[in-house]
Parts: sequence; C-alpha cells; structure tokens
Amino acid sequence: MYRKGDNAWYALFVLPLTLVFVTVVVIPFFIGIGYSFVKWDGMKLNPMTYVGFDNYSRIFADSGFWTSALHTTIFTLASVLIINLLGLAYALIVTSRLRVRNAVRAVLFMPYMIGGLILGYIWQFIFSDMFKNLGQLTGWTRVFFNWLLDPDYALVAMIVVTTWQLAGYIMIIYINGIQSIPDDVVEAAKVDGANFWQTLFRVRLPLLMPAFTVCLFVTLSNCFKMFDVNVSLTGGGPNNATELMAMNIYSEIFLLSNYGYGQAKAIIFFIVIASITLIQVYQTKKREVEL
Amino acid sequence: MKKAGRLAIQLLLIAFCLFYLFPIYIVFVNSFKNRQELYENALAFPGTFSLRFYSEAMEKMRFARSFGNSLLVTTVSIALIIVLASMTAWMLARRDNRLSRFIFMTYVATMIIPFQTIMMPLFQVMGWIRDTLHIPMIDTHGGLIYMNLGFGSSMAVFLYHGFIKSVPVSLEEAATIDGCNRFQTFWKIVFPILKPTTVTIMILDVIWIWNDYLLPSLTLSNIDKKTIPLSTQTFFGVFTIEWNLAMAGLMLTIIPVIIFYIAAQKYIVKGVAAGAIKM
Amino acid sequence: MKTKKLLGILLASLLVMSLLSGCSLFSGGKPADKIIIFQSKVEITDQLKACAKAYEEETGVKVEVWETTGDDYLQQLKVRLNNNQHPTIFSLAPGAESQELKNYLADLSDLNFVDKIAENMAHEIDGKVVGIPYTLEGFGLVYNKSLIDASKVKDYDSFVQMLKDLKDQGVNGFSLSSESYFLIGHILNTPFALLDDPLDYINKLVAGEVKMQDTEEFKEFAKFMEAIREYTNNPLEVTYDKQCGDFATGKTASIHQGNWCYPMFKDYDIDFEMSLMPFPLMGNDKLAVSVPTCWFVNSQVSAAQQDAGKKFLEWLYTSETGKKYLMEEFKFIPVVEGMESPNLDPLSTAVSKFAAEGKTIGWPNSNWPAGIVDVYLQPVTQEFFTTNMSGEELLAKLTDAFVQAGNK
Repeated sequence: MYRKGDNAWYALFVLPLTLVFVTVVVIPFFIGIGYSFVKWDGMKLNPMTYVGFDNYSRIFADSGFWTSALHTTIFTLASVLIINLLGLAYALIVTSRLRVRNAVRAVLFMPYMIGGLILGYIWQFIFSDMFKNLGQLTGWTRVFFNWLLDPDYALVAMIVVTTWQLAGYIMIIYINGIQSIPDDVVEAAKVDGANFWQTLFRVRLPLLMPAFTVCLFVTLSNCFKMFDVNVSLTGGGPNNATELMAMNIYSEIFLLSNYGYGQAKAIIFFIVIASITLIQVYQTKKREVEL
Repeated sequence: MKKAGRLAIQLLLIAFCLFYLFPIYIVFVNSFKNRQELYENALAFPGTFSLRFYSEAMEKMRFARSFGNSLLVTTVSIALIIVLASMTAWMLARRDNRLSRFIFMTYVATMIIPFQTIMMPLFQVMGWIRDTLHIPMIDTHGGLIYMNLGFGSSMAVFLYHGFIKSVPVSLEEAATIDGCNRFQTFWKIVFPILKPTTVTIMILDVIWIWNDYLLPSLTLSNIDKKTIPLSTQTFFGVFTIEWNLAMAGLMLTIIPVIIFYIAAQKYIVKGVAAGAIKM
Repeated sequence: MKTKKLLGILLASLLVMSLLSGCSLFSGGKPADKIIIFQSKVEITDQLKACAKAYEEETGVKVEVWETTGDDYLQQLKVRLNNNQHPTIFSLAPGAESQELKNYLADLSDLNFVDKIAENMAHEIDGKVVGIPYTLEGFGLVYNKSLIDASKVKDYDSFVQMLKDLKDQGVNGFSLSSESYFLIGHILNTPFALLDDPLDYINKLVAGEVKMQDTEEFKEFAKFMEAIREYTNNPLEVTYDKQCGDFATGKTASIHQGNWCYPMFKDYDIDFEMSLMPFPLMGNDKLAVSVPTCWFVNSQVSAAQQDAGKKFLEWLYTSETGKKYLMEEFKFIPVVEGMESPNLDPLSTAVSKFAAEGKTIGWPNSNWPAGIVDVYLQPVTQEFFTTNMSGEELLAKLTDAFVQAGNK
C-alpha cells in the first residue's frame, strides 16, 4: 500500500502540528529539566549556581513531598475508579432510549464549566456551613459535620468535587466510544437472545476498549496533576493533609522561590506518572478489539 | 409494569440531576445578592431578581469586547486543532512504524506535565521567537492561539488516534485505487467518518479554551485583547472578593457555552441514531 | 457532512469577526512612549484607570494599566519580568519580596518629593530609595465599641476576661479567620515587633540560635493562642467574608483585622461604632502600622521609559490632580508631607491617629522568609486549632517552620 512520495505526505500531515507542539510543550519541558540542576530563584537577573544532582538527592529527604505523593496516589486511584464508573454509567444512560436523556446529558456536563475560586467558595460553603447545619437538623452528626476540618474527610471532599466536575467530561468521551459500536453487532446479539446485561458485558464493553484506554488515561493524567480543586477547596489543609503533588511543586516554585528544586520535583513527578500511565495505555491498547 | 419501571428510572434521574445542579443554583441565586444577603443566607432566593449586578458586571467586564475576543480565540484555535490533529493522528495510526509510535507516545506522555512547571520556560521560548523571528507571540491573540494549539494537540491526537481504529482500512484502499491521493482520501473518506470524535473534541475544547484562565492571563496584558475569564479579574481583589459581580460574571461566561453545547448535542444524537460508521 | 457545515459556520463567523474588529491576529503595536503600570491592589484598579486618563489629558503621555487578580499578581509579575514583557511601574511589598527582585528596581532617590516622604516610610535598599509608599495600613483588633471598652482590655488577663464575659452574653469575643494571613501571618507579627531587634531575631531564629519557646514574648503569645482556641469559635470554620459578616451583625465583638476590611461592611446596616485597638500582648498599646505596598520603577526598561515612569510618580504625589486621586479616590492615608485625606473611614482614622502619636510597632513579618506564611505557618496553625496540641508545642513547630523555610 505504500507508494512513492508517501514520506512527503507523512511529513505534510504530521509536521505542522508537531512543530507547534514541540515549541510549546517539548522544548519548554527540556529547558525545565536543565533548570533542575541549578539553585536559582527563577528570576533572570538573579544568580544561578550549578549544583549537579543535589536537588534530586534532597528530594529523598523531603517528607512533605512524599506525603503529598501519597495523598496524590490515594486521591487519584479513588477518583479514577469512581469517575470512570460514573462516566460510563452516564454515557449508557444518555445513549439509551429514555425520554429525559437530552436534558440529563446537558446537566451532567455542566459542572465542567465551573472552575477556579468560585468553585472553591461554593463547595467550601456546602462542606462546612451546610453540612454542619444538616447535622444539627437531622442529628446525623457522624455523616454531616465540617468535612474540611477532618484530614481524611477533606480528601474525600476533594474526590467528590473532582468526580462532580470530571464525570460529565468523561461521559462525553464514552458517548463517542459507544457510537463507534456498529448497531448491527448489538442487534445481532439481541437476535441471538442475549439479554441487556449479556449484551453489555459480552458485546458492548469489549468493543469499548479503545474508549477505556482514552478515558482511563485522561482521568489518570487529570487527577495526578489536579491543582485547581486542591487550591480553591482545601488549600492543602488541614495541616497539609490534602496537599497534592502539583500544589507542592507550585508552592516550591512560586511561593518559596526555589525554582531549581521545584523543577527537580516536577521531573521526578513526571517520570513516575509517565511510567504508570504509559504502562496503562500499553496494557489496555493490547486488549482493544480491531474491527 | 415495564412502563412504570421506566417512569421510576426517569424520575430518579431527574432528582439526581437536580442534586447535580445544586452548586450552580448557588451561583445563580447569589449573583443577585449583596454582601449582607449573601452572608445571611447563601441558599435563599434573592429578595429581588434585579439585574443590576449583571449590568454592572457587564460594564466592568467590557462584555462585548471580551466576548468578541473569546469568540475569535476559541473558534480559530479549535478549527486549527481539529484540522491538524486529525491529519496527524491518522498518519500516525496508519503508518504504524517506530517513528510514528515514538511521536504518538510523546504526544501522550506530555499530557501529564502540570502546566505550572513549564510555564516559565514556555514564555522564554515565546520571548525568543518574538525577539529573533519577530513574530509577536506575547500579548497577541495569534500567540495565544498558537499556544492553545500546542496544548490542545496531545488530547486531540490521542482521541483521534484511539477512534481511527473503527475506520475500516478497506475504504481507504478502495479510494486509493480510485486514484485519490492521501490528501483527498483523508478529507473525502476518513474525516467524515471521524465526525463523532470531531464533535467530541469540539465540545471538550470549546469549554476548555473559553474558560481557560492561567495561560491567557500570562499571554495577554492589553485590556483590549482580554478574553472573558480575564475580564472578571477586577472582581477578585487582594482581600475583598465581590462575590455578586464574580458570580454574575461567571453566569455571563458560561451561558454562551451552554447554548453552544446544547446546539452541538444535536450532532451527537444524530450520530447515535444513524450509526456512527455507516455512511 | 454536518461537521463540514459546522466547521464552515465556525470559519465564516471567524472571518466576519476578524473583518469586524479589523485587526490581524498578531497586531502587537507597542508605541514606546506609553507608561505601563502593573500593580497588586486590585481594589483600586478602576480609580487608577481614571487617574491614568487624567494624566494623559494633562500631559499627553499615555498610561496603560494591566490588570490581574489579587491572588496571582506576584507570579504574573515574575513571568513578565522574565520574558521582557516589562511594565514601567510595578508594585511589591517592601521586605522579602522587594529584596528578591532588587535587581529590577530603579534608583528613585532623585524624585523631587523624596525628602517629603514621612520618616522611615520611603523604602530603601543598599542606601538608595527604590520604593514609594502607597499608604499606611494598620492592624490589630477591629472592635465593636458598644460591646468592648478598649480601655479595659490591656493585657492577657483582661483580654481573657473580655472573652469570658462576652461568651456568657452569647457573643463571640474575638475572631481570627481561616485565610493564611488572617489566621497566623498578622497575629504572629506582634511578638516579633515587640522584640528589641526583630530582624536580628529572625536571622537567629532561622539559624537555629534562638527558639520561640525560650522567648518571653512568644511564651505569652502561646497563652493567647490557647485562650483563643478555648473561648472563641474555631477560626478554621470562619472565612474572611463570614468573619466580617459576624462582626457587622454584632455576633462577634472583635476581629483581628486591619483598616483594609472597612469596605467589607458597605452593604450592612451597622448600628454601632467601630475602631481599631492594639493586640494587647505583653501589655502592648501600639498598633502594627506600616507600608503594605510600594511603587517601583522597573530598571530593565529604557532610560527614557524610566524617566517617564518617574515623572508619573512625581505627578501623582505632587500635582493637585494626582493628590486628589491618592487621597479621595484611592482613599490612601497620607505618607507624604502636604497631603491630607478629608474623609477617612473610622478604621483608617484610628490608624492615622496612632501613627501621628507615634504609637506604632512595625511589620517584621514582611522580612520573614518568602512564602513561609502559606507553606509552613498555616498548616501548623491548622493543626493547633484541630487538635489539643499545647501552646508550647505550637511554638516549637513554628520555630521549626522558620528553620525549614529559611534554609531552603
């Protein structure tokens, strides 16, 4: 199928975007790696001293970084699982023949549009004031109390808000996946006498593997680098119990002005996440069914 | 019996949706309240639905201007992302060699870099392009679009790449035999089949670019160039946040996106009804 | 087909858009003769823009004001300074912030009003005046005069007595709030400011040569914090908005705030008088008053630009129009001779009264290691307010925080 001139076509199709991508993402990232070997506060006119791997060796003794890594792992595992289960369920519901599906689809996607400080304000209000009042009203003070003051529940609160925001987003990608399943395959299964659950688990889900690859990866990367919800909802508190890695790195660079050290943290962070997520992509890609 | 079950499910769904919308309800009602009313009861309906905070917010946001800027940046960015990313992803998927896999994995891997860690070097590179190539990348819409394209490319390539698998190669081979070149094959045969993915990317990226704050705030300084999220900056002071204006501003920001989304939904539904890969 | 149509519509609308706005995507257009101001006090942005317009009318020089939010100003400034996107004039807090960026600060010693700036208020680095103060700000206890008699709250015992009495009446006597500076950044300033040589103490603290738990001022501070935890509402459940609301509606009798919070009360019908009093640590009767922010001229722009920036500052602080904006529109407290602010709010009046009588202590907290309040002090204080940790443990942890932050 290859012909003369194919390489030129290849370049024409791939180069333009890749060039932009390289200048915007790849080169800055490599410059960033360079900065992880210096002690510097990030200002061009201020002195920069080469320290070799010092920044990296310091990381091993930085308990704050590892604690935030632990929080990030717990947060990500829980969020990825819940978001994907819900997102898939939503997608199945809104592609069904139910009459309310259009309205439901619109509503579920809406949370993704609200971000930043306002998001934090609203959810802070819900988890602190409203929960306290609900607790007093119903007497269920074990469930309804100020979640943001409790180290464990504050992390749960972050998972709730992240799920609320991202489940609708992931739903959109799952819908896309469900659409690529040819109707005749599903019909054929029905004709063969398969019930709803059998078609779901034997036919539709296996055919959804490409969508799984994408959605798992998108949620993994979004949750690992979660920053907005962290800053605006809990600010990392109480007592750093909910500080995630992106925020830890951000504070190092922009609040404490340790640019080189912060970059070193970012590189370690990247290597760890990259290995996990690429393994995930590789594994799920293998399971995809080619039509 | 079955009908009753369906009805129950639908009612349950509606209840769930109301629960889902609750935070948006809080934004809505508080965009009509002053500081004292907000303090007294953030959940209550406002005393009056006077639009004065909305008109004040619109005026301070220079709404028409920033709306136009947002529209320009969003449409151009997305058109470029869709055209270039679909082409790239198709080539990478169809010519499955080492180079392609390497390029594809690079696109994917960079999705996990937190923006905050590359923003300083990014602006160094942009400053370098401005100073040596004399293309003003900073404080221009073009520069912002360029960076949006760079940041949006990974996700778009990833999505297209994933779903190109459902396009049977035989169709493309037939087109090639009929004398189409690569370009024609792609635009006449492949791109139309990718429609559901295109709509998906459009929806996800419209919302991302329309609401994006950090990147545009670092890129655009001149007040005449600001996009909508930047135009609400003055509501967020050092110590005092003007919640009512901020919430009215947020409503004004998201209403156009909601309209867009509802309009775009139609295409998803049609895709489902028609069966995605039938032509 | 549909996608093409949709794409077509998008592209068409885009074309119309660009035609309408009549501008190409890369139109930069930066005439060199304009002054660019980038500053952190978002609250005065509108007034500053009006002021810029007035300056243009009087002198013909164009002034552009860049906006941002209060939260991300410093980060935005740093990124801009690093890629030659230079504002002519920018603002910083004098202290750790201005020290870090001192290579970017032009010498302002030759401004024509420098000798009229009130004593110790001009910001100097290495013997040169580099920063022109905005205004004075003071913090302490913002209190409700109908609930608290300031003359009776003089020391630890009377402070605690006040908390107890008010608690019996169902009123919360005192309130901090959950934001980093309002939780610990300001209140911890007082023990530092009462020391003989706060800067020296900070250096020694960071070097591990002294410890808070061995210093009188801090020991008493710890007692105060224990009392606050015992007798008042948990500050972690109080946001700044709620704190001010509780105060305005009489549910809280005093809050640890400064004169900046007065605009927060504008929507409330307040039926009592309020004022500011010192935080009575070790019998302290002085208000913590200082310059929160200074104007700086960027040393990295052309000499002509720097001159233009200096001319603007001279105009702002000496011309009638400029002074009018400073005093009446920005509502600043005068820091330069020959200025008077006609209608200060009650809290600012208290600040300028304490300043005039010389009853002030400084803000050594601006010389703490950069970022310490958010990254180190706030988590420790959150722990203090959510556990039964003793005041002494709090001091030990705060001391550790200084050592850690200072040796990064």
